[in-house]
Amino acid sequence: MTGAVLLRTEGLICDFGAVRAVNGVSLSVAAGTLHSLIGPNGSGKTTLFNLIAGEIRPSDGRVYFDGHDVTGLPSYRLPHRGLARCFQRTNVFPKLTVHDNVWAAAFSRRRTGTLGFLRRASAFSDVEADVDGILGDVGLMHKRSAPAETLSHGQQRALEVGVTLASSPRLVLLDEPTQGLAPEATQQMTRLVQRLVGRYTILLIEHKMRIVMSISDRISVMAFGELIAEGTPDEVRDNPDVQRAYLGGRR
Amino acid sequence: MVLLPLFVRPVVAAEIWIFSIAAMALNLIFGYTGMLSFGQATFFGLAAYTAGLMMIHWHAPLLAVLVAGTLVGAVAAAAIGYVCIQRVGTYFIMLTFGFNQMFYFIAYKWTSLTGGDDGLPGIPRPPLALGPLGVRLDSSLRYYVFVAAIFLLAFYAMKRIVDSPLGVIFQAIRENPGRAAAVGYDVKRYKWIAFTIAGGFTGLAGVLYSMMFGIVPIESISWIISGDIVFMVLIGGIGNLYGPLLGAAAFKWLSEAISVVWERWPLILGVALVLVVLFLRGGLVEALTRLREALGGAPPRPEPGDGAPVRVATESEATP
Amino acid sequence: MNISLFAGAILNGLVTGMLYALMGVGLSLILGLLNIPNFAHGVLYAIGAYVMVSTVKTFGFVAGALAALVAVAVLGAGIEALGVRRLSGVHPDYILLLTFGLSLILTEGIILVWGPVGITSQPPALLAGGIDLGVTVYPKYRLAVMVVTAALVAACYLFVTRTRYGAIIRAGIEDKDMAAALGINIRRVFTLTFAAGAGLAALGGALMAPTRGLQPTMGLDILPFAFVVVVLGGLGSLPGAILAGLLVGVVQSLMTAIWPPGADASVFALMTLGIIARPQGLLGHR
Repeated sequence: MTGAVLLRTEGLICDFGAVRAVNGVSLSVAAGTLHSLIGPNGSGKTTLFNLIAGEIRPSDGRVYFDGHDVTGLPSYRLPHRGLARCFQRTNVFPKLTVHDNVWAAAFSRRRTGTLGFLRRASAFSDVEADVDGILGDVGLMHKRSAPAETLSHGQQRALEVGVTLASSPRLVLLDEPTQGLAPEATQQMTRLVQRLVGRYTILLIEHKMRIVMSISDRISVMAFGELIAEGTPDEVRDNPDVQRAYLGGRR
Repeated sequence: MVLLPLFVRPVVAAEIWIFSIAAMALNLIFGYTGMLSFGQATFFGLAAYTAGLMMIHWHAPLLAVLVAGTLVGAVAAAAIGYVCIQRVGTYFIMLTFGFNQMFYFIAYKWTSLTGGDDGLPGIPRPPLALGPLGVRLDSSLRYYVFVAAIFLLAFYAMKRIVDSPLGVIFQAIRENPGRAAAVGYDVKRYKWIAFTIAGGFTGLAGVLYSMMFGIVPIESISWIISGDIVFMVLIGGIGNLYGPLLGAAAFKWLSEAISVVWERWPLILGVALVLVVLFLRGGLVEALTRLREALGGAPPRPEPGDGAPVRVATESEATP
Repeated sequence: MNISLFAGAILNGLVTGMLYALMGVGLSLILGLLNIPNFAHGVLYAIGAYVMVSTVKTFGFVAGALAALVAVAVLGAGIEALGVRRLSGVHPDYILLLTFGLSLILTEGIILVWGPVGITSQPPALLAGGIDLGVTVYPKYRLAVMVVTAALVAACYLFVTRTRYGAIIRAGIEDKDMAAALGINIRRVFTLTFAAGAGLAALGGALMAPTRGLQPTMGLDILPFAFVVVVLGGLGSLPGAILAGLLVGVVQSLMTAIWPPGADASVFALMTLGIIARPQGLLGHR
């Protein structure tokens, strides 16, 4: 179910002083697809996410979302455009309950005007419905009232994804959702991500190759800040440059 | 609340409610939003002086003065807050402190307007005009009732704010400003909103204070009051709606009780602060909760999003 | 305003400015390494002055200054080891509040020990009286203080930038965890740095005592200015603190000569303008 290009980067460059972390990356993600981004550690994948999501300004290059130039927009504007990202290190609101974590994210796009702030938070039944939906999706309904910091690592990763989905984005940047998870939790997370396909367009950073190969529509491979290959899982698997980047040669 | 004048003199009781309002305001920006302001006296004092001058020179009616003071507090906070919020953490604290000092020195030197070190005397208590009725507030007891009533209104307003989406947004900003931005909130703007609201409440308290003794002392705008307000919030228990009330009550009652006996009572205050900071960061609220737990019975679980107790910092550090 | 008055104001500004720079350097060291604004910095300055005055009568000026330095440095070390360190995992706001509480305790302590009334102290006989500089006659002692504090500030700067221990401190300011991981006893560095900062404040107090007189609130009085110096100069920047200290001192002094009522307020106006124009401070990073 591929559609028009939803996200496109053009020659993105990111310099940290003398270090060029991202060197001219141009990629496109088609609407409705699951596009994976893989590469050895330090290849610039998370930095690329940061560039797209407004955490860092690119030194050069552009980012287009849904046809609009969103380069350099501050991070808080992007959910309103329909783009949300999750973080590699769990980045939620520790002392807020699971419910409030998701509620905060779900509410951000509501246009309430000043008067809306006179209502009780709990009175926004549509937001509550959204929150319930998300908690159901990520399997955290039973932990609704628990403070986020009391959750296990696996539950926190699920919450991390939940918070990302809560702003009803069209495009979701998932940064290693299975990071640090035991095999069973990894399977659950993988199934969750698969359930999201179609409802969201997904750009996924992932290290676990079997997962990447089995669920991706397209894969982009990064090494040393550059895109070295792109294609379907089969094309990428057979690509000698990719094999070299992962297995040996330059380190 | 009705019983309070039985335990303490109405004057002290009224001060407790006045400072409860100011403490609630600081709690909004510190407990809920995570910004420690060491300069709330700026708004307290500016409103007090404004109200005092209005009543002395223009014989302004009571309600006008209440509104004016609240507005002065809010507008001053909006302006000062806009500058301070450009920075976070230590910088922010020192900027609020610095602004407080600036206004203090201005008030100190501008004796023709403020009376300087001697204060601004001669402030009347205009009667409360409720339609055809005019209630005089001359006696301490009557003024106490009036102050308590205003406090209840302020408390209700604060509760509405904290129960509204703003309450959740502010706490999210406290917990993780980076993520709050990443999910779509203009963090600086919401911080500014919190700061401005707090300035308004603090201004209201300042107006009430000006009519307390008929004089606006220079201390009203000094960082001593700023520090006192910080005490109250800390000792009472941060991030909890009732903490500031406990803190204000404890502070005022203690200061009254001890200062009669020992002139060096700020020493006790300092010791209390150090002990709370080292050993009981949840303040009196935490102490009471622990007591209740020790006596049997589990503490109530916080309901989602109802603005109820969310204690701020215990031992954990802020997560990245 | 005639030239003599102007010259006097500038000189006063430099003397005060050097003091502010000294306070700023101490505060900046503590702030940079421990990430806390030390609210007790003012009262440490005050205690330095009081210890000096008490010791001077029996043991002479130099001994007095040394006594002030040592006593307050030890006090500073104690504060860090017993108080600040306990709060290491907790939000830095609490450390600020701790130092605030301590400033109250110590100020009351000064009153308990030395009484609530102000004290005056005299400069050492060697440096009494004025010196003719051509444009104006200026107190010898003040000139001496300016020179000595300038030397102290320069020594601090050189220590931090040129010595190995200074490099350790700078490493700690950049990245505590990394420094600790490299085997540096970061705890000891913290304690010693706090003690050093406290000692600098005490020396400032001791040296300035004959020029300003002493009262118990002198610590609380000077603290806001020390803060302005650090904020204006840029948090954690020693050169910034020095530059800002001099700037603040001179501005305040000139304003005192031109329009006394605005002198103190102008310092904070300067800070505000500085922060608006350059949010990271004059020489700060980021």
